[in-house]
Amino acid sequence: MRSRAWCAWLALGALFVLFLTAAGCAGRPESEPITLVFKYSRILGKGDPVPGLLREFEGAHPGVRVKGEALPWTSDDQHQLYVINLEGRSPGFDVMMLDCIWVPEFARAGWLVDLTAQLTPDELAPYFASAVTAGTYEDRVWALPWNMNVGLLYYRSDLLARYGLRPPETYEELIAAVGRIRDAERNPALEGYLWQGKQYEGLVVNVLEALWANGTGLFGEDGAILPDPARAADALRFLRRLIETNVSPAWTTAADEELSRRAFGDGHAIFLRNWPYAMDLFEAPGSAVRGKVAFVSLPGRARGAPGVGSTGGAHLAVSRRSRHPELAVALVRHLTSRPAQRAIALGAALSPTRRDLYRDAELVRARPGMPRLDELMVAGRPRPVTPAYLLVSSTVQPEFSAALVGVKSPERAIADARARLHYFLESLR
Amino acid sequence: MTRREAVNRRRGMLLLAPTVLALGTLTVYPGIWVLWLSLQHRIPIFGVSRFAGFDNYAFLAFDSRFASALATTLIFTVTSVALEVVLGVAAALAIHTLRGGRRVALSLLLLAWAMPAVVTAKLFEWLYHPTAGLLNVALGGHALNWLGDPRLALPAIVLADVWRTMPFVAVLCYARLLAIPPDVYEAAQVDGAGRVATLVRITLPMLGRILLLAILFRTLDALRAFDLMFVLTGGGPAGTTETLTVYAYRALFQTLQLGFGSALGVVVFALVMTVAWAYLKLLRTSTVTA
Repeated sequence: MRSRAWCAWLALGALFVLFLTAAGCAGRPESEPITLVFKYSRILGKGDPVPGLLREFEGAHPGVRVKGEALPWTSDDQHQLYVINLEGRSPGFDVMMLDCIWVPEFARAGWLVDLTAQLTPDELAPYFASAVTAGTYEDRVWALPWNMNVGLLYYRSDLLARYGLRPPETYEELIAAVGRIRDAERNPALEGYLWQGKQYEGLVVNVLEALWANGTGLFGEDGAILPDPARAADALRFLRRLIETNVSPAWTTAADEELSRRAFGDGHAIFLRNWPYAMDLFEAPGSAVRGKVAFVSLPGRARGAPGVGSTGGAHLAVSRRSRHPELAVALVRHLTSRPAQRAIALGAALSPTRRDLYRDAELVRARPGMPRLDELMVAGRPRPVTPAYLLVSSTVQPEFSAALVGVKSPERAIADARARLHYFLESLR
Repeated sequence: MTRREAVNRRRGMLLLAPTVLALGTLTVYPGIWVLWLSLQHRIPIFGVSRFAGFDNYAFLAFDSRFASALATTLIFTVTSVALEVVLGVAAALAIHTLRGGRRVALSLLLLAWAMPAVVTAKLFEWLYHPTAGLLNVALGGHALNWLGDPRLALPAIVLADVWRTMPFVAVLCYARLLAIPPDVYEAAQVDGAGRVATLVRITLPMLGRILLLAILFRTLDALRAFDLMFVLTGGGPAGTTETLTVYAYRALFQTLQLGFGSALGVVVFALVMTVAWAYLKLLRTSTVTA
């Protein structure tokens, strides 16, 4: 009997020792060769050009290995993965691909290496100014822009041409064009204007663009929250009217980028608000709308400011926990370099952050819309650059959605959004 | 106490030790930590860390988003569990009366349950697709805005949840049905009991305890429902499908308000514990009477 108890103790002890050794092994720093880990989301398209670029970097840095590790698919999951690892001081990765809206947050948290001192004076000049702004927090540069996005208005050039219509410059013109074309086409399956009204980050982008077109924004110059509630409510009412009058389908309130992109790509709509990536898919062989799509700037409002698309995109940053920060910075430079961005633009549906690539002969041949895209990206506006961006976004999402589906009046939704933002932002002080 | 009893006792404790240790480190310690966090304003990114007392709870008391999330959680729990039980029992009875193909029927049933929730969610995303979804096609092209209409979104999610977890109830009930001795039914037949009387007087009462158990499991799961709404609607439209756990996730993981998020977590915990306690009490009394 006694001996059995001893056996149990022994087994338990052995387990414990095994556990400790395993933990010890995992924690031991790796010896030669040096390994850099690069976290990024796999690029869809003709083939991910990134592994090739990583091999190139290894070739130029003997003794260094770069491991590209895939991020989860959804932006929420990516953010969560970063937050848990960085808050837990994990040295699990060196270079990270960040959605531009996270850069100020991560910089504020002290999770990123400050790149300012390592940059040459004119190193940021070739980039879009709004992308540089998105990577800057408190006058320090924390991340280099890697790819660029801007909200666009896609339209069916064949349908507009059939009725002698020009692409709309204002929403009023867009609504008139939708009425005209649908009256004449008599196709009940043809929707008018598609955009993203599901309760998620995309809704905030769409509402922001509506606010800007109406001459206001989420924050004033002085940081005031929703400085012009009447105009903001008017913008929301306008979006709600689009759905009520069937210019946009009822399911707009469930639409994200892909849902709306597919419907438009299947030929079921005249106008679509989306990001530049959609163009490659519309022009792909076998696409129902191949050669029938063009894009322009988002519309403005009649007698208002011209339309502006919201910018977005990804930045590359170096983790403060990296054991090889100099090499990691070199990798960031390599991946954001002109040749690397050119290779990515040729291989995938991602737009570069360096302006001169938009005039590159080979790129323009592959994508004739590039020079036009450059103009729209220069004109684009970033979302509020604040470390509290996700807090702001997740606070206003249900309010904006409530106004769109008619659960709340636009005035009520704006008032509630203001009150909640005020409470939560105050608690950060 | 004899020497042998003492040895047995010591060995018992020894064998329990790993469990107690694991529970202690994995449940009790984080639990107390969350309770402590919920009494603070703690937002690490902004360097906010100060004692808040019951501030977070006071805010929740008047927070319309919290009230809506609580209501959504309760409505979701009651409707989905009720439907799961009714349909689960019906499915179990149906399989039980089958002559052949029980195995096939069971496997098909379990397939839905074995699928990861996120896969189920993706599946339903396609079923509910506003223009190309099977459901809308089946409705004769009558385009219902399943996930974008505040009146339809929650029912749509309940439906997906019922489809996914009804088999759990069905399998439990089916196992119990197999254990009812056939002579009980023979006796009923001899006594001239009809089908309805047999069902109401014999089968359902015999299922009672296992059903209570199934309801307990399902209720506790439903109160913490997260993945279906997170994938399908993200809590929208207008926050109508945002449950307490989705709200807590947004506060904790998305916006890193650790204090406020923990307060939400504590509320979910309290809710689940209260319900569990009530059920266990019910289960115990029903054991005594049965």
